[in-house]
Amino acid sequence: MSDFLFELGIEEVPVHEIKNILEQLRSKFESKLREIPVGFKSLEIAATNKRFMIYFPNINGKADDIEEQVKGPSKKIAYDENNQPTIALQKFVEANNIKMSDLFEIKTPKGLYIAYEKKAEGKKTSEILKKLIPEILKELSFSKTMMWNKSRLPFVRPIKNILALFDNKLVEFEFAGIPASTLISGHTLLSDKPIKVNSFKDYCELLSKNFVIISEDERKKKIIDEIVEVEEEFHVHVEPDGSMLQDYIYNNEYPVLFSGEFDMKYLDLPSEIISTFMINEKKLLPVFDRDNNLVNIFVGVSNIPDENKNVVSGNERVIQATFEDAKFFWDNDRKEDFFALRENLHKVMFHESLGNFYEKTERLFALVDFLVKETGNESLAEDVKTAAILCKNDLVTRMVREFPSLQGIMGGLYLKEAGEREDVWKSVYYHYEPKGFSDTRLEYLGSGLLSIADKIDNISGFIFKGIKISSSKDPYGIRRDVNAIIKIVKDFKLDFDLVPLIKTAAGNFVKSGSKGDKTPDNPTLKIKKLFLSRIENIFKDSMRFRYDIVNAVLNNTESLYIYRAYLRAYEVTAMAQTESTQHLVSLHKRLKNIIKDAEPYEIHEERLIEKEEKILYEIFKESSPKIENLIRQKKYLSACSTILEMKPVIDDFFEKVLVMDKVRETRENRIALLQRLNSLLSQVADFSLIVE
Amino acid sequence: MSVQSIILKLQEYWADSGCYIASGYDSEVGAGTMTPDTFFRVLGKKPWKVAYWQPSRRPDDGRYAENPNRVQKHNQFQVILKPIPANGQQLYLRSLQYLGVDIRSHDIKFDEDNWASPSLGAWGVGWQIMCDGLEITQFTYFQQAGGIDLNPNSLEITYGIERLAAFLDVKSSIYDLEWGNKVSYADLKTEEERQFSIYNFEMANIDFLRNLYVQYRDEAIRLVEAGLYLPAFDYVLKCSHTFNILDARKAISVAERNSFMANMRNLSAQIAKKYLEDTEKGETNE
Repeated sequence: MSDFLFELGIEEVPVHEIKNILEQLRSKFESKLREIPVGFKSLEIAATNKRFMIYFPNINGKADDIEEQVKGPSKKIAYDENNQPTIALQKFVEANNIKMSDLFEIKTPKGLYIAYEKKAEGKKTSEILKKLIPEILKELSFSKTMMWNKSRLPFVRPIKNILALFDNKLVEFEFAGIPASTLISGHTLLSDKPIKVNSFKDYCELLSKNFVIISEDERKKKIIDEIVEVEEEFHVHVEPDGSMLQDYIYNNEYPVLFSGEFDMKYLDLPSEIISTFMINEKKLLPVFDRDNNLVNIFVGVSNIPDENKNVVSGNERVIQATFEDAKFFWDNDRKEDFFALRENLHKVMFHESLGNFYEKTERLFALVDFLVKETGNESLAEDVKTAAILCKNDLVTRMVREFPSLQGIMGGLYLKEAGEREDVWKSVYYHYEPKGFSDTRLEYLGSGLLSIADKIDNISGFIFKGIKISSSKDPYGIRRDVNAIIKIVKDFKLDFDLVPLIKTAAGNFVKSGSKGDKTPDNPTLKIKKLFLSRIENIFKDSMRFRYDIVNAVLNNTESLYIYRAYLRAYEVTAMAQTESTQHLVSLHKRLKNIIKDAEPYEIHEERLIEKEEKILYEIFKESSPKIENLIRQKKYLSACSTILEMKPVIDDFFEKVLVMDKVRETRENRIALLQRLNSLLSQVADFSLIVE
Repeated sequence: MSVQSIILKLQEYWADSGCYIASGYDSEVGAGTMTPDTFFRVLGKKPWKVAYWQPSRRPDDGRYAENPNRVQKHNQFQVILKPIPANGQQLYLRSLQYLGVDIRSHDIKFDEDNWASPSLGAWGVGWQIMCDGLEITQFTYFQQAGGIDLNPNSLEITYGIERLAAFLDVKSSIYDLEWGNKVSYADLKTEEERQFSIYNFEMANIDFLRNLYVQYRDEAIRLVEAGLYLPAFDYVLKCSHTFNILDARKAISVAERNSFMANMRNLSAQIAKKYLEDTEKGETNE
């Protein structure tokens, strides 16, 4: 067994590209070596922002030999009547570069054939790699590329060195004008000369001697351990936000945690601002005390040990300037009359051809007005409507122009400062939340309603414009908005029909007369379908409902009650394992089978003939108001059991009565009775779709 | 280390590295990139190495002399290396060492920051270089200028002189810096920053500037049509600076911004094209 070590040394690669590159390298090396095939047991892979390493500890020295039987012409064709080789056979021999003596006969179902045993020795792995590595590197894709040298090769960043050692010997090739070599570089700041590598063991030792921790896990552990030390020392806690941690792990080949202090006076700034400036501007983490209040300490990660405390004192100076900037924005924005900023929204486009943000707030006002009524929350009307009018004002503040991620939050804070009621400013503060279905639950119904309005307006606008979304393309986050609405509806148990809301929201754009070439014929239907597909997806994937139950409760109707669909899925799931469900399933199947294509008919009591149908009708007349009432109260389980109480009578009906009577009136009357039963059942679920 | 000795040392270092030392441009620019020594010279095949000190104006960055390191007029030290040397990062780190920085005891990071100037149709890929958390340099592999793909590409290194000085002199405010020979930064700049901040944010006459913008633009169009791409470029710079003041004054809506940008970008593209036509004619004659 041999081993193979590869390192691509490169100038600082952006963190968001690294995982993607690593994954491509792994899968390409794996699949191509398997294809050849060159046997290997395992591979190790690692990266920092300055190097990508792959190591195969056990790999064959050469590719597998090829041994296979190659079938030639049939014996009949291969030899003439004198048993002499024909031209066909001679051509086969020539074409395969073999001798007559290599040939033998094989038996096949189609008779005797001529064949030979093909043998080819596998190539040396080092030879294979020589061609394979440049191929793989060339195939890598990146989110953004650049050119830097004569090779004009688009790559993520300039390549510094390529190390390729097979059995400790250099694999010679060139890529992007850079020849493979046995040299690598160490830490940018702490190691100044190229390092010669002779083996994998060498590689690991030399890297660690030159201040590079190649293992991601080790770097992560070092950072987390050092965070814990700070937490214990200062009796605080630090919440390393996921993307910051990734940044620390990959941007530092030798990560060292540091912590510093800043002037207490900056703690007067709202904590949202402090955190945003620390994280986004300076890549420093905020620190909290036991009661979750910010303290005047920060932590960050340096790429070198900070023996002279240069890093800490530098960052302490920098953070002060950053907070001064934050204070400048905060103070200046508050000098303006926040309420008056709405006039400036005339100048801010929501989206080309979808009008400006002033117009958007007008639509939001109407939408929340509609929503509070539909959801029975009229008591919130005044506050949410005020919030709708003011919620976009922060777009023209300095703070949000500088940090768009603070939109909504700043609006809320400025309104709070301006003395606005809590329900209003909180509605504004959170109206961009939640960011999807798995996001945290909103606390205030007011912000939930405003959020629904804001999102349904986005969705309608973009669908109206004819923006197409697919699994890979959703530039305006339409799907995320749909998911968020489903989340809010479920969390606040909002029981309302979404279709009229969609109609109103889409109608706003129709009214504005901004219909374009790509506007779909029926935007409302298109949006409704989008919701149905997202609901289906969430019910199945996030809530883990059985797919057949999801299909059964999302049976197509004119209306779309998301919360009811959820409750029905929940209750049908609860009873799915019971015998009663089986009864409902077979009943529903039978009903649908009989009435499938029939027109809707009326029941005429006087036309009921048989005893069993009369009894069924009587019982149905008595039970159906009860059942409908239960369904209205969303007691779906009880509704089902009440339906099932009729089972003996229904069974008798099916047993004794022939629905398809020769007399048309009798037949239609019986079908009408079954249609009524069917529609009752369908209000809970289409049980015929449930798989037993 | 004083501000002036940093400038002198950088000039020395880059002159020794083969650069010609230019003067800064005598028109208001937002960055060292916006001068003919960079904008034109990164175009075309001809190798080019230049370094210069360029005062740069960013009206929106004014802070009434009240922020420790943000000013509406700061000083850049600009280096262009064309073609890109293989050891560009090392050359840069050595320049810091030349200024006396012990790179083994400071957290110097190359942090992703892709630079773009939409109004010049120019962009590049690279990093902002952070030193103990302070951004001291922009390091960019130039990919396009005037909407034209560059071949060969250039390396652009832009030092922020005030920040570099604050770092080297361990000052938490640039106003505590010494410019040179006992002249203080505060003495030179405080009043300038205060007055220009008031002008940029509060006093600039919007109608007057809008008119100016239109006149500058029309002049640029006229000149580029006449083949005078150098003066035409000057007027694009004036457009850009006028636009920046209007922007600081919050006089430009988002929709308008796009049309202003498209406008300047088109002009820059035409100017770059004219320049290339002209120089390539010259190169083939040689």
